[in-house]
Amino acid sequence: MENFLVSINYTGWILHVLLALPLAGAVAVALTSAAVAKRLALGITIIEFLLSAPLWFMVNTATGTMELVATVPWIPQWGINYAVGIDGISLMMVLLTTMLMPLCVLGSFSYITHREPGYYALLLVLTTGMIGVFVALDMFLFYVFWEVMLVPMYFLIGIWGGKNRLYAALKFFVYTMAGSLLMLVAIIVMVRVAAVMGGGKVSFSYFHLLSYAQTPIMGRLAPWLFLAFFLAFAIKVPIFPFHTWLPDAHVEAPTAGSVILASVLLKMGTYGFLRFAVPFFPNVAFSSGVTTVVVSLAVIGIIYGALVAMVQPDIKKLVAYSSVSHLGFAMLGIWAASIQGVQGALMVMIGHGFSTGALFFLIGMIYERRHTREIDAYGGIAKVVPIFSLILTFVALASIGLPGLNGFVGEFLVLIGSFQQFPIATGIATTGVIFAAAYLLWALQRMIFNKLDKPDNETIPDLTRRELIVLVPLLIGIVWMGLYPKPVLDRMEPAARRYILTAKGMPIPGEAVTPTRGAAQ
Amino acid sequence: MNGLDLATPAGVMLALLPELVVIGASLVVLLLAAFRHQTAADSRLAGWVSLAGLVAAVAALAALWQSGVGPVGTPSMIALDGYRFAALGVILVASIGAVLLSLDYLERENLIAPEYYALLLMATSGMMFLAGSEDLIVLFLGLEVMSVPVYVLAGFNRRSVFSAEAALKYFLVGAIASAFLLYGIALSYGATGTTGLTAIGERVAAQGVTPMLGLGIGLILIGLGFKVASVPFHMWAPDVYDGAPTPVTAYMATGVKAAGFLALVRVLMVGFPAAVDTWQPVVGVLAAASMIVGNLVALAQRSLKRMLAYSSVAHAGYLLAAVWAGSRAGASATLLYLAAYVLTTLATFGILAVLGRGGERDVTLDTVAGLARRRPVIGFALAVCMFSLLGFPGTFGFIGKWAIISAVAAEHHQFLAVVLVITSLVSAGYYLPVVRAMYMKDPLTAEQHDGVVLPGPARVAVGLGVVLLLVFGILPRLVIGGSDRSAASFAGSVLDRAVDARR
Repeated sequence: MENFLVSINYTGWILHVLLALPLAGAVAVALTSAAVAKRLALGITIIEFLLSAPLWFMVNTATGTMELVATVPWIPQWGINYAVGIDGISLMMVLLTTMLMPLCVLGSFSYITHREPGYYALLLVLTTGMIGVFVALDMFLFYVFWEVMLVPMYFLIGIWGGKNRLYAALKFFVYTMAGSLLMLVAIIVMVRVAAVMGGGKVSFSYFHLLSYAQTPIMGRLAPWLFLAFFLAFAIKVPIFPFHTWLPDAHVEAPTAGSVILASVLLKMGTYGFLRFAVPFFPNVAFSSGVTTVVVSLAVIGIIYGALVAMVQPDIKKLVAYSSVSHLGFAMLGIWAASIQGVQGALMVMIGHGFSTGALFFLIGMIYERRHTREIDAYGGIAKVVPIFSLILTFVALASIGLPGLNGFVGEFLVLIGSFQQFPIATGIATTGVIFAAAYLLWALQRMIFNKLDKPDNETIPDLTRRELIVLVPLLIGIVWMGLYPKPVLDRMEPAARRYILTAKGMPIPGEAVTPTRGAAQ
Repeated sequence: MNGLDLATPAGVMLALLPELVVIGASLVVLLLAAFRHQTAADSRLAGWVSLAGLVAAVAALAALWQSGVGPVGTPSMIALDGYRFAALGVILVASIGAVLLSLDYLERENLIAPEYYALLLMATSGMMFLAGSEDLIVLFLGLEVMSVPVYVLAGFNRRSVFSAEAALKYFLVGAIASAFLLYGIALSYGATGTTGLTAIGERVAAQGVTPMLGLGIGLILIGLGFKVASVPFHMWAPDVYDGAPTPVTAYMATGVKAAGFLALVRVLMVGFPAAVDTWQPVVGVLAAASMIVGNLVALAQRSLKRMLAYSSVAHAGYLLAAVWAGSRAGASATLLYLAAYVLTTLATFGILAVLGRGGERDVTLDTVAGLARRRPVIGFALAVCMFSLLGFPGTFGFIGKWAIISAVAAEHHQFLAVVLVITSLVSAGYYLPVVRAMYMKDPLTAEQHDGVVLPGPARVAVGLGVVLLLVFGILPRLVIGGSDRSAASFAGSVLDRAVDARR
């Protein structure tokens, strides 16, 4: 297998194909009829996943450096390249994305009933945008992907969303754009400063900027630049108090939109911290003031998200708020900058992708049957839809963090990894796990247990085979990550260690400290 | 580079070839109109003749540009460098677009008068002189030759009181602006003893900025500030843009604004680089005020035409930020942004023109509700325009904004850059609702969009505009090189010293 992949120069073209295929597919899908569009989109996303799967073996993650780096001049006059590469962290995010997309397409088959070609075309455009964000190694390219992704999501929410979709779509767009526009200025200013210090070489290359990140001039501007990056990513994560777009967007989006939002889009925020904001400005990020603020906000997010989730009458909103809580753990781990903390944060990111994605799918499925998301409208449906109830319980337990399932690994690692540094914050965060159990189990109890007292609920059909096909891969992921996360952790560890060393301003062993790090370029 | 002696008649004629072709075409159209001015076909003929004239002018411009000519001897009345050629290109594109949009519009609105095209061509020649002038006198003449026909065009719809109001208002304000400009020219002549921009540049560098010169620069800024509709000289713009026939509005928003800005860049970069400390704060304040006021007031508009008028004030603010940089990067960014703005605005007004009737004053968000479903291509085109005006990645508008932010950031003063992005965010508040109405709302009635069909010529203009917006948005290197090379024409030692002194 490996010989075959080498013989077709797999590593030479795969990233470009992963970016180009969905975009080309989107054009094709947009021009076909509704019946063809969904099948074509499914085919394209499956091919995309199959193409990306060998990355698992073919990317050398042992050194933690960027692999498969390719640089093509794009706007040479401005020092902008089409530059992509992948390391252990990006690898997991890309695979998470490519794995989810076929499920999202398949999961939308019966949910989306009007203007289908446009819907599936936008899902494909979104795929390109998401993969692009995770592999971009040029700040211009990164920014373009980061922003372009907004458009399909805006339309997905605005056209196929729920009652309040117009408001939610606008809010989502404006919030995200607000953050990223300041980041745009920060990127340009960074490049200008680097150019002045680097003898006039204007380059938007990630490595180029990274090598100037800790110089004195950048140091004076660094707090402002960091603030701009911080806002962009904090809104995306979202960190309390920048989270107010999230419940609206998640609740109003169509099922696949909610799944993508929760599973991938939120991770772009934490990914942004890991890849850009912290490594560029480690001195600012880990100054005592910023650390205190971020850690406090993370802990507030964990507790606040959980408490607010507890009182939601709407199950989708409950899950949306639970995301705020979960992502708080990821932030805590990133700022702990210990190996367990960072690995834990990454596991939270992946694990949340699986379990919350599955929860949104399940909510979408029951909504298609009963057209309500009010928890109180259900009750005792375990007898009517046993398979649905079983899976929902299982996924909820994973989300709570039951040992043996995926949620536990990430949160446990984060708590271990950050206890030494932030004992009090970690102590408070731990209670978040208890709250999670409270809100999810309470909701489960009211929805699927209790008495079957509403006549409407007596005739709900159980999950179809198509819906099971959507859910099973996620369930496998949940069990796998919970029982044997080692292959995943092993692949991310070198990159995580590298992040920690950069974040602490230490030299990376075996590499000379030169102005242009990342010789792969 | 072949030299062209601008002191000889032949040299001047050759250097002014594109302008002369346009003037010639306008005379032909005028002559034609003397004999055939009755029917719609006559009007259409005049339109096609003007189009041919403009295309010929483009060809002349291309030949001139390709030949790589440069002036020999002392600088003369008219510039002969890449920046002028690029400026003429932008202006000719705006004019060609305006003619294409007018062809069917005039018939539809029953404005049969071939003189329309003669006026349009005269205004174009004025713009070309304005943007290419190397001398303040030529600048003033160009401005007047441009303005007078545009006053008439604004009031071209005799049956509309709003059109008449627009013309009168534009005329009065324009006359005041001309007076300011002329007085400014007189004062700077008094301070430097010359009207030639290059000579002014050298004198200012040698003798410093006297109060008289400072006042002169200020008055010139006010005069041009009126023409480009920057705050606080923008009061006329909404009413005039609103009342004028839509293709004329498109022409004013693109051609007049482009010519004004290109002239402003040349005056400041060639004539007053040494006085940068005098004008930079003023331009900075005008830029910030235009961005803030334009965007905030646009939010409150119901009529799309009026919203676009205020948004054009905001865009004047972005452009002033590029001018503020006072560097070659700023000049290049101005050109790039104008190119993007011209294409976007032409396409937007082209679509607006088919959405309504009788001046399109009552086109609102309700008018475009559900448009994308009934007319997917037009809806998509308008959506691209909105995203480009918003400055969204993937469109040419983003490249323009990026260039401006880069030019501003290069001056190590981020205030304007921050104002620019924050006000851009505000602009999402009025561009996005258009997209939202088209894609996310249902048509009010089943047959609401039946009449929305782009006639052939307008389809060419809008289609080409939108395609170029996307192409240049994705592959900007096709145009950046050209705009950078054009801006490199400002290679005067005075400018370099001024730029160095600031760093």
